[in-house]
Amino acid sequence: MKVFQVALGILAAIGGFVDIGDLVFNVSAGATFGYQLLWVVVIGVIGIIVYSEMCGRVAAISGKAVFDAVRERLGFKAGLMALVAAQVVNLMTLTAEIGGVAICLQLLSGLPYRWLIVIAGLVLLVVVWVTAFEWIERIFGYGGLCLLVFAVAAVKLHPVWGAVGHGFVPHLQTQSPILYAYFAIGLLGAAMTPYEVYFYSSGGVEEQWGPKDLGLNRVNAMIGYALGGFLSFALMIVGGSLFLDKGIEPEFLGSITMGAEVPLGQIGLLLALVGILFAVSGAAIDTLFSGAYNLAQFLGWEWGRYRHPRGAPRFTATWLVLLVLALGLVMTGVDPVQLTEYAVIFSAVALPLTYIPILLVANDRSYMREYTNGRVANTLGLIYLVLIMIVSLTAIPLMILTNVGQN
Amino acid sequence: MRTLSSFLGREVETQSGRGLGKCRDLRASIGRDHAAVEAIVVGRRGWLEHLGIAKAQRRDAVPWEAVVKIEGNRIVVRDGTEFV
Amino acid sequence: MSDYIDLGLHVLDHQLLDSEGRRCGNVDDLALEGGPGDKLRVVAILSGPGVWRQRAGVVGRVAAWIGRGGVVRVPWRDVDEVAAHVRLRKQAEELGLGRGDDRLRPLVEKIPGADR
Repeated sequence: MKVFQVALGILAAIGGFVDIGDLVFNVSAGATFGYQLLWVVVIGVIGIIVYSEMCGRVAAISGKAVFDAVRERLGFKAGLMALVAAQVVNLMTLTAEIGGVAICLQLLSGLPYRWLIVIAGLVLLVVVWVTAFEWIERIFGYGGLCLLVFAVAAVKLHPVWGAVGHGFVPHLQTQSPILYAYFAIGLLGAAMTPYEVYFYSSGGVEEQWGPKDLGLNRVNAMIGYALGGFLSFALMIVGGSLFLDKGIEPEFLGSITMGAEVPLGQIGLLLALVGILFAVSGAAIDTLFSGAYNLAQFLGWEWGRYRHPRGAPRFTATWLVLLVLALGLVMTGVDPVQLTEYAVIFSAVALPLTYIPILLVANDRSYMREYTNGRVANTLGLIYLVLIMIVSLTAIPLMILTNVGQN
Repeated sequence: MRTLSSFLGREVETQSGRGLGKCRDLRASIGRDHAAVEAIVVGRRGWLEHLGIAKAQRRDAVPWEAVVKIEGNRIVVRDGTEFV
Repeated sequence: MSDYIDLGLHVLDHQLLDSEGRRCGNVDDLALEGGPGDKLRVVAILSGPGVWRQRAGVVGRVAAWIGRGGVVRVPWRDVDEVAAHVRLRKQAEELGLGRGDDRLRPLVEKIPGADR
């Protein structure tokens, strides 16, 4: 039975790993640099595995989620700055995701975009309100598995596998190094987006993980994200195989779905749309709740889906308000794909504020008792911390230098 | 009535003006129904200690009994105060 | 039996839990009594937006204004233990904590399915 549970969790994690940031950046990276940035995706996946495992362990042993740790470690002042930054980035990401959902619905139904924004919002609201917490992750996770069509498409496009293999070897680019660096930063930012760890750790506290769940936590983190990373590879390979020499920039979700339609026809297109719809909807819910979790945890409010709306009124009001805000922002007509690029880059800037407290708490014996970080976790954690600092400092300059990846 | 936050960040100096660092924390003994401040933690809180790399057995605090006065932005302790 | 703890590290900015495990705010500051030449005792936990003014400069004052600046004072004798969270000996209502949730609850309860 345990194995079955683990398998379900992994399936949900695969479909849940890919969000609109991953879609946009992986396909764009493929369209711009072919397979050359595949190795960066590997680094990003390892990074999110390392830190997810850490915050899962923190949640299980200390009963604290990430933002509890942020406030306790950074103090009120720095923590407040981190909160504001996280909320701004979160709202941008949420807006982009809801917009993405609306676009998918439009491609599927042909109905006007504006109506579909409202419909998307209402459906998300009803699903979240009515469905049990565990089921939400499963529904959107399994639906997101349709994205595996991109893996099939990647193979069917007959890439030069030698070139693909070469893409996994870390190397620098001499032709357009600045643009290359921009995409590398974007891919890392998209793979290690803060809302993922906020949501994961809060979920762990909600489900009252304890020491006995540590094994599950580790397996979930590793296999789920690894297989999710595999989907990212597929997206980049598709982008590279289809768009690279054609000079096509996948600026629209419709262009991205072409990646499945060209090799696999109508069925490919349909699966791609359904997969994107579910994956991005699931991501929207995760992002929405992250925003509410962060605020509630920082301020000490009661929080959690398991508390039910009447048990956590301010928490509930927070996510309702965030949803309405995001819907309003999508209504202004902002381009979700463009907004996604900004959201990912700003996420990248905010990464240290998220990950430093996790590393600190995971080493604190008073929180973790005998479950503090071992040598492997600390070594990797520190290496990634240095990497994250570099990413954070270079993200905005690179964005400006490359004119948001247009160059 | 003073607050913990009003202590944090103040400069800790000896009567003769030698600076010992900033007040980083207050160390207290707590138990049922009592909590008394025993010492003032000064200087940089070691990040490396937090990350589990360096071992933290440093004497990093001055005893509360050594405090002579609190004024302006400073906490003044007796000359010759030993770290605990 | 006494333990030594660092107040800023282990108490300040930690989550408050009431006697039933309900989350009811944060330790926004600690009230101390005494002075040089005398004992310095922790007498109360201070919780609420009103405390933020002292802690975060301009941003703190704005946040305090948004939160409508109340302060709740929890006597130290009502603290049960200081561990991962700061656990209190009484219920939140008795101590005046968690009022924001109590105020909002009637509104949220009107929505169908609020206890799902």
